Amino acid sequence: MNQIRKNISYDALVIGAGIAGGEAALNLANTGYKVLLIEKDDSVGGKMILLSKVFPTLDCAACITTPKVSEIGRHPNITIFTGSTVSSIKKISDNEFTATVHKKPRYVHVADCTACQKCEEVCPVSVNDQYQYNLVGRKAAYIPFSICDPKAAVIDIENCTLCGACERVCPTNCIDFTMEDEEFDLHVKTVVLATGFNLFDPLKTPRYGFGEYKNVLTSMQMERQIAPTRPFHTILRPTDGKVPDRIAYVLCTGSRDVSVGNPICSQICCMYSIKQAQLLMGALPMADVTIYYLNIRSFGKGFEEFYEQAKGMGVNFIKGKIGKITEKENGNLLLRYEDINEGKLKVAEHDMVVLSVGALPNPEAKTLFADDLKLDSFNFVDQPDLMASPAKTSIDGVFVAGTASAPMDIPDAILSAGSASSEAISYLMKQ
Amino acid sequence: MEKRRIGVYVCHCGGNISDYVDVEKVRQSVENDDNIVLAKTTMFACSDMNQKEMVEDIKNHNLDGVIVASCSPKLHLVTFRNVTQRADLNKYTYVHSNIREQASWAHSDNKEGATEKAIHLVKSAIAKARHVEPLEPSKIKAEKSVAVIGAGIAGLKAALSLSEKDTHVFLIEKEATVGGWVAKWKDLFMTDETGDALIKRLYEEVKRKPNITIFTNSEVFANTGSIGNIMLKIKQKGELFDITVGSVLVATGFEPYKPKEDEFGFSTVPNVITLPEFKQLIDHEKDVLTYNGQKVKNVSFIYCVGSRQPEGENTYCSRYCCTATIHAANEARKKFKGIQNFHFTRGVRSYGKQELLYAESLQGGDIYFQSYEDDLPKVFVRNNKPVVRINDILTGGRELEVESDLVVLVTGMIPRSNNTISSLFKIPKGRDKFFSEIHMKLRPVETVIDGVTIAGACQGPKTIIESVNSALSAATKAYSNISKGVLETDPQIAKIEAKDCTGCEDCIPACPFDAISMKQIDDQSIAVINASLCKGCGMCTPVCPTDAIDLIAHSNVEIMGMIDALA
Repeated sequence: MNQIRKNISYDALVIGAGIAGGEAALNLANTGYKVLLIEKDDSVGGKMILLSKVFPTLDCAACITTPKVSEIGRHPNITIFTGSTVSSIKKISDNEFTATVHKKPRYVHVADCTACQKCEEVCPVSVNDQYQYNLVGRKAAYIPFSICDPKAAVIDIENCTLCGACERVCPTNCIDFTMEDEEFDLHVKTVVLATGFNLFDPLKTPRYGFGEYKNVLTSMQMERQIAPTRPFHTILRPTDGKVPDRIAYVLCTGSRDVSVGNPICSQICCMYSIKQAQLLMGALPMADVTIYYLNIRSFGKGFEEFYEQAKGMGVNFIKGKIGKITEKENGNLLLRYEDINEGKLKVAEHDMVVLSVGALPNPEAKTLFADDLKLDSFNFVDQPDLMASPAKTSIDGVFVAGTASAPMDIPDAILSAGSASSEAISYLMKQ
Repeated sequence: MEKRRIGVYVCHCGGNISDYVDVEKVRQSVENDDNIVLAKTTMFACSDMNQKEMVEDIKNHNLDGVIVASCSPKLHLVTFRNVTQRADLNKYTYVHSNIREQASWAHSDNKEGATEKAIHLVKSAIAKARHVEPLEPSKIKAEKSVAVIGAGIAGLKAALSLSEKDTHVFLIEKEATVGGWVAKWKDLFMTDETGDALIKRLYEEVKRKPNITIFTNSEVFANTGSIGNIMLKIKQKGELFDITVGSVLVATGFEPYKPKEDEFGFSTVPNVITLPEFKQLIDHEKDVLTYNGQKVKNVSFIYCVGSRQPEGENTYCSRYCCTATIHAANEARKKFKGIQNFHFTRGVRSYGKQELLYAESLQGGDIYFQSYEDDLPKVFVRNNKPVVRINDILTGGRELEVESDLVVLVTGMIPRSNNTISSLFKIPKGRDKFFSEIHMKLRPVETVIDGVTIAGACQGPKTIIESVNSALSAATKAYSNISKGVLETDPQIAKIEAKDCTGCEDCIPACPFDAISMKQIDDQSIAVINASLCKGCGMCTPVCPTDAIDLIAHSNVEIMGMIDALA
């Protein structure tokens, strides 16, 4: 592979362009520092930009993220590399880090692409759409999602058959299969890690039947079904396209569960499930929504009131642990559970089940470093001075923002990013 | 003047508006209005795609006025002003119309009515846009210093962070010592460091900073000026100091809830204490835990005292207390022999990594009960001991009793009862009576008062980590406001037509910001506006008997036009 190596240098490297990374980059840039913002995905915005509405204010997630994304994209002090990864971060001395940046080819010249979608129409390949969490398909030449940024096509070269149809139909000739990998030698003075979290994979709890029973979805799949940029125009269950009217939520899927290796609470699932339940009551007024929970953890500002509001709207809360889910012939699901209030084992029938999957650490954080970045016992980025400087990591000059250090909700992730950028600015000013 | 050329964008807000308001009908109803050159609908007006399209439209159609009908101006007024600016149009010619909070959300039960109202709101914005004039922001010099009010953990960290950013800090604390509540605590959860040691470490660091001036035993009692130049008067034991700062960071913290008489037996049943009292007790007792001279064996904790109330102000969850209690109970069990803890909860909320403390507690043999929401535990005396009785969810509704040596009421956080700071700076409060941020996600540490940020538990219950994160966020925001030494302020303030002023002085008491004074001009006394103090609130305009006062960008002709369009 021919690689072009270039030297680049910035004041700060921010890794991850989700809500925390974006916020940290903006704070640094507004203070006058030059920031390189690296995102491994083909769009900035992280997980938040794909959400429906956000608790407890029910603002649409896009209303909060898109203007931020636009501000980041326009900021004269911020350079964004999407489709890029960073490795071998090494501290040379105080205020001096080196790293390698790898930018994979998009095979589309972003500046020329008008997002006309003609390439999408002619592409003969169909694969699962990862941005719609596999609810629908997409092409190998595709726009990641409707409010992605940069809004430009990308060629999924892994699945592309190199038929050339897209290249021929493109009105601006922006598709270019000769694009190559680029590598950069990066020099920066400080690093902010905002590598986010991974969602729990419910295949690891086979008793819930995810993967086997099609009407068992993850909460992120439901999030997509109720988002403004949703794949269908209503909520549909996968087996038969029926609009569901008895929906169940299974909280703590992959959280507070030693058997799957995650003993801690994911901090967000109670609230996002309550939020989805409220949105479902609005979208499907005749539907019954039941949340099976162990403890409801509505602890943040306005959260308890939000929980009470859901109860008032008629969301059914059952304190109970789901033992096993089985499928009936008609695609409905039987939930065996212990009703703790009544002290009885029961079976309930629902036509759709949503697994409220937890937030796990993103193990990639550690692999970016040539130096030893310490992780805590759960594999989140370790915070050696947790009380006084939560953003500090085991490497002086490397700061952590958002869910890379612990599960947290969006308001907390934004404050954590404020904290990380504050420390980074102080670090930059020390020299 | 040439005929105005106005563009209108009606936003779906991804369904937030278009689920209830027929946005296409709104667009059609204004597209043929006078002065309207283009009218469009858009899925997300604030998205980068649409912003770019607006810039193109403004240039291609030579627009001199732009309206976006979307959400509250609190969210995106600035966003769209910046769009017009990028299209080389004066940003004050942008007019915002709120059809989400004021139409779609307010009338979600009446789609036709919501649409009708949205049409009127957009038409009134058009009426205003016909008269708007280009303005230039006023530039003022900003003091590169910040007053941090409250020297608890949040205030100390904010002061340090600003000091590291080359900003002078006045750290003002009403108590004799710094450190707030954390300084009074020993064991903390999630760390081996004690509270007093943590504060000592931070205070040592603060003392080494030449650019932090500490005022203990001090209170702020007067505030004039505005962002960039805020003049404060500080009283320190009878001595007065005047300081001028660019910004104010409020970190005044919380108060622990004090149970009412007989609330779970408080002050009526013996040996009923609060969580802060219990923490003090286990910190100071050695080897054997005694209370009132009696050895303590059974400790019962009653959760959510003063939090999660069905009505009133304390409907919120205090966030820290579940874990603080579990942690204190764990510490007590480990420190003293023979302690048995009983937890009377309303559902345990040891969120995140704090869950491990709950697991430790269960493994250590602590016993948990959970009460029904409408049937809380009762505390009464038997054999001169407090007894807790509960109908317990976890055992299928059985009635259980625990005869205890000590009952600990797990009291939550409530806002400060002292209102001096909130009334002095006019910081708005939420339903919970804690200080309100502008927007929990977009502007989480700013208040509607320019230059006043909030940090820590004065904003709502928080743990130490969360307080520190918010303190550092507020410090960054305060710093970015003043670091350039120059600030742009809104030119939308009052102006007085000197020839119409009769010098009656009626406007002076009407101004809440002391921005109007009398000036002698050619033997005539007339009112003048101090531009750096005026906030453009408009209180003076209606009291003027000769209509000599007009509000820039909210002039009488604009407002009358809007009213006509709404009628």
